[in-house]
Amino acid sequence: MGAAIRVEVSAEIPDRRLEKWAREAREYLGVPVASIEEVRVYKILPLAPANDAPAKIGKVFSDPVLARAHTGAAAYTFKDTPAFVAEITYRPGVTDNPARSAEEALSLTGLQAEVASGSLYFLFGSVDAVGAKKIARELLANELIQKIDVWPYAEFVKLKRFDEVKLPKALFTHPPKPEEVSLELDDAGLEKLSKERFLAMTLPELRHIRDYYRKPETQAERKKLGLPQHATDVEIEVFAQTWSEHCKHKIFAANIAFTGADGKTEQINSLYKTYIKRATKEIEAERKLGWLISVFSDNAGIVRFDNKIDLCIKVETHNSPSALDPYGGALTGILGVNRDILGCGLGARPIANTDVFCFAPPTLPAKGEEQFMPVGPKPPRRILEGVHKGVEDGGNKSGIPTVNGAFFFDRDYVGKPLVFVGTVGVLPPKLPDGRPSAEKKLSAGDRIVMVGGAIGADGIHGATFSSLELDENAPATAVQIGDPLTQKRMADFLLEARDLGLYAAITDNGAGGLSSSVGEMAQMSGGASLDLALCPVKYPGLSPWELMVSESQERMTLAVPPKKLKDFLALALRRGVVATDIGSFTDTGRLEVLYKGALTGVLDLHFLHESLPQMQLQAEWKGPKARVNWSDTTALKAKRIAPPSTRDALLALLSSPNITSKEKWVRAYDHEVQASTHVKPFAGAKTDGPSDAGVIWLYPHGGNKDSGVAVGCGMAPRMSPIDPYRMAQCAVDEAVRNVVTAGGDPDMLCLLDNFCWPDPVTSAKNPEGAYKLGQLVRTCQGLYDICKAYGAPLVSGKDSMKNDFRGKDARGMDINISCLPTLMVTAMAKVPMGASVGSAFKSVGDLIYLLGAKDAAGLAGSEYAYAFDVPEDNGPAIDMTKNLALYRAFHGALKSGLIRSAHDVSEGGLLVAVAESMLGGRLGAKLDIANNAATLFGEAPGRIVVSVAPAQKAAFEKAVSVASLLGTVEVDGKLSLGHEEILLDDIVTAWKRGF
Amino acid sequence: MGKKPLFIVMAGDGINCERETAFALEFAGAEAKIVHVNDLIASPEMLKSGDGLAIPGGFSFGDELGSGQILALKIRHKLGDKFFKMVEGRKPVIGICNGFQVLVKLGLLPYPNAEERILALAANEQGGFINRWVGLNVDAQSICLWTQGMEKTQIELPIRHGEGRIAFKKGEEKQHYDALIDQGLVPLTYTEDVNGSYGRIAALTDPTGMVLGLMPHPEAFIFRETYKNAGASAPEKGDGALIFDNIMRIMKGEESGYERKAV
Repeated sequence: MGAAIRVEVSAEIPDRRLEKWAREAREYLGVPVASIEEVRVYKILPLAPANDAPAKIGKVFSDPVLARAHTGAAAYTFKDTPAFVAEITYRPGVTDNPARSAEEALSLTGLQAEVASGSLYFLFGSVDAVGAKKIARELLANELIQKIDVWPYAEFVKLKRFDEVKLPKALFTHPPKPEEVSLELDDAGLEKLSKERFLAMTLPELRHIRDYYRKPETQAERKKLGLPQHATDVEIEVFAQTWSEHCKHKIFAANIAFTGADGKTEQINSLYKTYIKRATKEIEAERKLGWLISVFSDNAGIVRFDNKIDLCIKVETHNSPSALDPYGGALTGILGVNRDILGCGLGARPIANTDVFCFAPPTLPAKGEEQFMPVGPKPPRRILEGVHKGVEDGGNKSGIPTVNGAFFFDRDYVGKPLVFVGTVGVLPPKLPDGRPSAEKKLSAGDRIVMVGGAIGADGIHGATFSSLELDENAPATAVQIGDPLTQKRMADFLLEARDLGLYAAITDNGAGGLSSSVGEMAQMSGGASLDLALCPVKYPGLSPWELMVSESQERMTLAVPPKKLKDFLALALRRGVVATDIGSFTDTGRLEVLYKGALTGVLDLHFLHESLPQMQLQAEWKGPKARVNWSDTTALKAKRIAPPSTRDALLALLSSPNITSKEKWVRAYDHEVQASTHVKPFAGAKTDGPSDAGVIWLYPHGGNKDSGVAVGCGMAPRMSPIDPYRMAQCAVDEAVRNVVTAGGDPDMLCLLDNFCWPDPVTSAKNPEGAYKLGQLVRTCQGLYDICKAYGAPLVSGKDSMKNDFRGKDARGMDINISCLPTLMVTAMAKVPMGASVGSAFKSVGDLIYLLGAKDAAGLAGSEYAYAFDVPEDNGPAIDMTKNLALYRAFHGALKSGLIRSAHDVSEGGLLVAVAESMLGGRLGAKLDIANNAATLFGEAPGRIVVSVAPAQKAAFEKAVSVASLLGTVEVDGKLSLGHEEILLDDIVTAWKRGF
Repeated sequence: MGKKPLFIVMAGDGINCERETAFALEFAGAEAKIVHVNDLIASPEMLKSGDGLAIPGGFSFGDELGSGQILALKIRHKLGDKFFKMVEGRKPVIGICNGFQVLVKLGLLPYPNAEERILALAANEQGGFINRWVGLNVDAQSICLWTQGMEKTQIELPIRHGEGRIAFKKGEEKQHYDALIDQGLVPLTYTEDVNGSYGRIAALTDPTGMVLGLMPHPEAFIFRETYKNAGASAPEKGDGALIFDNIMRIMKGEESGYERKAV
């Protein structure tokens, strides 16, 4: 091995990103930094002595125009003298993508080396040591995954940084042997064990395992197999992962005693079975749906909207990781849900991503509020920036367009941000060898092959960690960084192998790692046996249990028939993808875990998957509760101001975070790669007006020429404290209306439910558990009823149940912040191509109609009521039967070409919807409309604003009977109401303010 | 007319537009074969069998060390002469977005065999990735065979990149820019400043006119269904298709331009 070489790469062309950071440091951190310069650093350890290393390094890292590589005493020619220098490097064992790529690049030149990457940041201006550290910690680095060193410039130049270069080394010296973990403990001892090992197991679960190990037949079996009397750590960890809330959804499966507002108590045996699964089964039977191919049984739901190509869809959340490391959390979230699609059926090709963020407003904390901020979660602005970058890299680098999403801001997401990430995939109904692509079929004897990245300590306990509320002691190993390149190579390879018929079954390695993927697949054959020592590792020293549960990214588990194994592994090799045969599926009824040939744990599959006792929970719903402000515990309402004029209210709403244009953020997401995006996020005369849903044309993916698919979302979390039953219905209606407005067929439409809830289990530290569970019950009831009413089946869903922060605020006081109970609904509908008209007004003189109830009452839960002090009311009502009839009539009119523009009425109400259609078309409007807040700004569901050519008036009114003529599209550049006029320019400026 | 010209469409290592690029070529009447770069390395004779080559867009090697840098290193070290011979063999080559970056990093654009590269594709001036539609002026004077003779003088295509700004060697900007324009090596320019590119350059060709590198994505606008505005009036055939049609017309010998010599 040669000596390590340090190379510093300076940019010859200024990087504008750095200007933005300097500005943010001044604005948000109050550090008067004049400018920041970055120099990339690579530490290179040749694996064999190489005299020509410096020349090769020069070739790899420099560019005659863009970059200069320095391998010794770099003299930078700065305009001024920097004040401080910060060096940011990855902590040992953290995924370092630039370094992995650099290793590959160097090896192409013939230099085999180990590389670590980092950056030097030169800080200019009147920065002191405190300010420099602040910039480094809060802007440039995340100390969970990165190490920061800060020097005054004068000291930095004296460092001998090019000599004795050292790479960070991951040192894990955990015993490679399993340890026995005795459960012969009292209750306190069991709970201590659970907490110390991050098991997130309840007392009844721990007792259940203890009792199982006590059984004479268990002991006899263990003796026969040569296993110790007590459980091994491998076994305990597999139980913890498999039974985690994240994997097992115990709360949705619980037996719940629910007391409603009428004081009556009913027993609900599993919310999932009673409301979710039942809705779909009943709808499928009643409507005789022939297009549900696979629901609730796979990684994603599969539907057939086109006879040539099937669609699958899945939406996941990645909340806890995104709170700790917003970039890594969001990136791994996206790549993770992509793998769900890759592992759906026999493998699907991802064709679109969606993302919905629920964050605290980026302006938080307001002046004077800093002291109340929770300690642990990143500040809202950093979460927004980090998650945004993660979604950008996750989608763009994978070649999957991000076609739809939403940013929703509310103060109650400050303790835990919600990051919803979804993916749509396509799969041919039949593979080239004739197998139906939706069916996984594996047999005993098939090999267990792990594909993709190597295993490290990153992501250990992700599943159990996300089943706990956040506190300051959250484990750093729960954070992972994704590697889009490794995953892209794996995805390309898997789809190629799929079409060659080289495997029998596939699933992703998500939460719980191998323990979940192999554990679940083993049920198909009735057993599995694997040797963990065969797994490729990032570094040595990991214990068997760590290998078993690590959630290191970019991995899939496959069942490969023995006679296909050689071809499968050969293709992987040709594609530069790591694939390892780690064992075989069996029919022993057991999951056998070996390490170097020796048994380290055996799990009875029946006990593992079928024996878990059902949770017994209490829930109650007694009516609305006023929301409380976590920062000063006064009612939120106290902060609101009196409603201003219509003009001022409209402009204020248009520039409020939930309504204002997100164009600056969204254009960073590639939404057109794969060349099939029909309705893009922005459209209109200047392509800056909002779209209601993303529409993908299926022809380029193998579908029929006239078929497309719309994806949209909806949620109404501010209704949760008022009426969770209607909250669910508003969420579903908004999602449905979004896709229908964009051209979706309301009769070829499916839904996904994603619940993000605060802890709904009552305990000493969570006295309101029954109330939160009551909200969940009401939400599920509302969801069931509207799915039935709309005839819209749920095809997939997920829940995340511990979205609370329990810890300290900046003053050191105890603070609990729960997220708003949030149901995010995704809708996917078939689109007949040609039915998408866009939200922008098209022509002067067109008639503007409001479809749906004209005088909808109720402001509660609206943006208007959040911003301004208005009398309390019960929120808007919903008429599901009328809505569905309207959507059908509207869709018919769209297909007949009777409608020029269509935009759903959502956040901000009718006037905001009209203003958005105006700015999209850069046209004015004249409306005859009552001057009251509920009419102008109420957010009653079931409404769409459309414009219609005058010549089509009669035909349109015949086709859509619940349409109120509001006015006309005008050329005059203003919105004229009876009582006020608002300039289009002001509308455009307000909406485009952004954040 | 003989058999369809065969285009090799490179794939793998993070390239991600190979399918739509192949689709676009086939729609224009070519035969397109998607080939993993590792398979090309294993069987470089495939390059010889092709009548043309496309390096599609994407994020090869995750854009680490600069976009296109590592894929260019891989082509240089693993395919080497076999690759350069194909390009020099007067076969049409198109590099789109990341593919353009690769061609520049390989030194094939704008001047192959130059001692040192005079330009690069730098990070966008606004400091990040951007996906938007742009207007492009087609230079009728350009010698680029992919665009020469196109009827439209202005077209619309999407851009989707973070590093698409043409930057010349410091201090030599004007002389190099003027030379490129004089020699007709700039087939497409943006109608407005979208990324800080010098002279609003959106595309480059080489002195044979056979090699086209461009940041906008012609393969993303073959059909009206993927136009920037759904529901807006758009021609049946997208502007991107015109570029592929043009090279096919020339390859099929309907134009004498195919024989045009380097300036």
